[in-house]
Amino acid sequence: MPIIETRELRKVFRSLKRESGVLGTLSTLFSRTFEEKVAVENVNMSLEAGELVGYIGPNGAGKSTTIKMLTGILVPTSGHIQVAGLVPYEKRRQNAANIGVVFGQRSQLYWDLPLRESFELLRAIYGVPRDRYRQNLAHFSEILDLERFMATPVRQLSLGERMRGDFAAAMLHDPQIVYLDEPTIGLDVVAKEAIRTFISEINRERGATVILTTHDLADVERLCNRIILIDTGTIIYDGSVERLRTEYGTHRTLVVTFAEPFGEIAIDGAEFDGREGNTVRLRFDRRTLTAEALIRRVTERFAVTDVSIIEPDIETIVRRIYVEGYQEQVPATGPL
Amino acid sequence: MNSARGARFRLEPYLEFAKKAISREATYRFDVFTSIGSFVVRVYLLRMVWTALYAHNAAPSDLPLHTIITYSTIALLMGLVLDIDQTRILHDKLHDGSIATDFMKPINVPLYFFSDGTGEVVFHAFLIVPALLLSLLFVHIDIPAPGVLAAFALSFLLGYFVGFCINFILNCIAFWTLEISGVQLILTWVTDLLGGGIIPLILFPLALQKAIFVLPFAAMFSTPLLIYVGHIPPSGYAAAFGLQISWLLLLAAGAWIIWRAGARRVIVQGG
Repeated sequence: MPIIETRELRKVFRSLKRESGVLGTLSTLFSRTFEEKVAVENVNMSLEAGELVGYIGPNGAGKSTTIKMLTGILVPTSGHIQVAGLVPYEKRRQNAANIGVVFGQRSQLYWDLPLRESFELLRAIYGVPRDRYRQNLAHFSEILDLERFMATPVRQLSLGERMRGDFAAAMLHDPQIVYLDEPTIGLDVVAKEAIRTFISEINRERGATVILTTHDLADVERLCNRIILIDTGTIIYDGSVERLRTEYGTHRTLVVTFAEPFGEIAIDGAEFDGREGNTVRLRFDRRTLTAEALIRRVTERFAVTDVSIIEPDIETIVRRIYVEGYQEQVPATGPL
Repeated sequence: MNSARGARFRLEPYLEFAKKAISREATYRFDVFTSIGSFVVRVYLLRMVWTALYAHNAAPSDLPLHTIITYSTIALLMGLVLDIDQTRILHDKLHDGSIATDFMKPINVPLYFFSDGTGEVVFHAFLIVPALLLSLLFVHIDIPAPGVLAAFALSFLLGYFVGFCINFILNCIAFWTLEISGVQLILTWVTDLLGGGIIPLILFPLALQKAIFVLPFAAMFSTPLLIYVGHIPPSGYAAAFGLQISWLLLLAAGAWIIWRAGARRVIVQGG
């Protein structure tokens, strides 16, 4: 039985239509017209316990709206949600006890108090037994290196330190389900790495089910087996990262460094994709041309000192999907 | 196992909220000194004003000078607690949207605000002691019989709850407007004037008094103060408490309704 399930989930926001200009502003004080905006449309997702899923989409695609409905703080316009056997918006508090949430853009720590006091407060809120609390805190502190700033008021922490604190805070009560909303935003490489290790750890060692929304696709490549792509409120891809790569990442790039200066380059089956000094990038479709064949075609005509192949990264693939839309090369529903 | 945790009521989180609010307030030490400093200045000024007024006018028979100075000093001491908007945090959270994270916790959110606000108030209540001792350098305060003091304390407590509800309702307006400073300013003036914290309401024209006494503002300052100075005799306690409790129930119901409507707006409209 899936731990998270949504069926035909839909959310429509009604917002006040604002007129521009001074007269327009004044007129909205008296007469109000509303416009409806569909944030999420027909979202069906099903997650098994212990999955770690990347939930990806451009800004305004409906990611946060979905997460808010899953946490129970937003009521869907229609459709069905069930999280660990509960309908979140009907049982907000019971649902809250099962979940842990981290927002990259918003802290749940007490601004004026030392980090440790925020943790103590959370212990009381979730009723974590003291032994378990001590164990968890010791463990998190080791992975996230919290000890150095445990006594520092949260407002004096750097972003990286604060995020590490927020992660520990969200996991103290051993949630079965964890929602991470852009948790690595604005972090330096070291902090990002610490956070990724931590996410992987809570998923593998503690068996938590994780939904991760992010714009940093390196997070997804590093952590997720499965991704769900959402655009303009609708899910356009749900499946493994590998499948997206093989079915959508059809183009590889051959980087060739020539032994001597040269003029125009035209190779059959490859597309010229920029040059830098004696180095040229050639883009080719791996379905119609093998790398071996292309290299042969190049070396037959030119003296070459170096070649390398760049595989399409998920970033490039997703960027292409955002711009071009997801073409039905595969059924969009995925392996349900 | 986990889902059962959220189901039954536990007091611990709310005690912890109150404790954390106390430590939070204690971090603003400068605030403590300025509030005691300004308190002492106000006690001194009020003594001068009333003394000057009484020197040039016939004193009202039921409010001799020493009584009105006692009244004003006690009113200022109460103000250390009652003038705090202990639910300001609600407005701030609505303003920056962080209320969402509170709804993601297994807690009763209004009760959280109440605990947090009470913690803040408890901290400020401790300031009453040094403020009282310092003010004794400038003024003499009458001390009533223990029975009267107890009645005053109860009435003060009821007044605090009334004030909490008024502030809470006010801050709930931010669910719709996000901004409440205009309404708040008006309310401060009205409370100062009609609450009896500055000028005893019994000095108002008789016709006006009748109307003002039934307002909730009188339930905050005037009722406990008039009990303290003996203007409301023990025979009048039942009626005085009755009115305070009526206001409390009415405002608490109002607070509950407006909170439900506001919270609904957040969960339907996404804030």
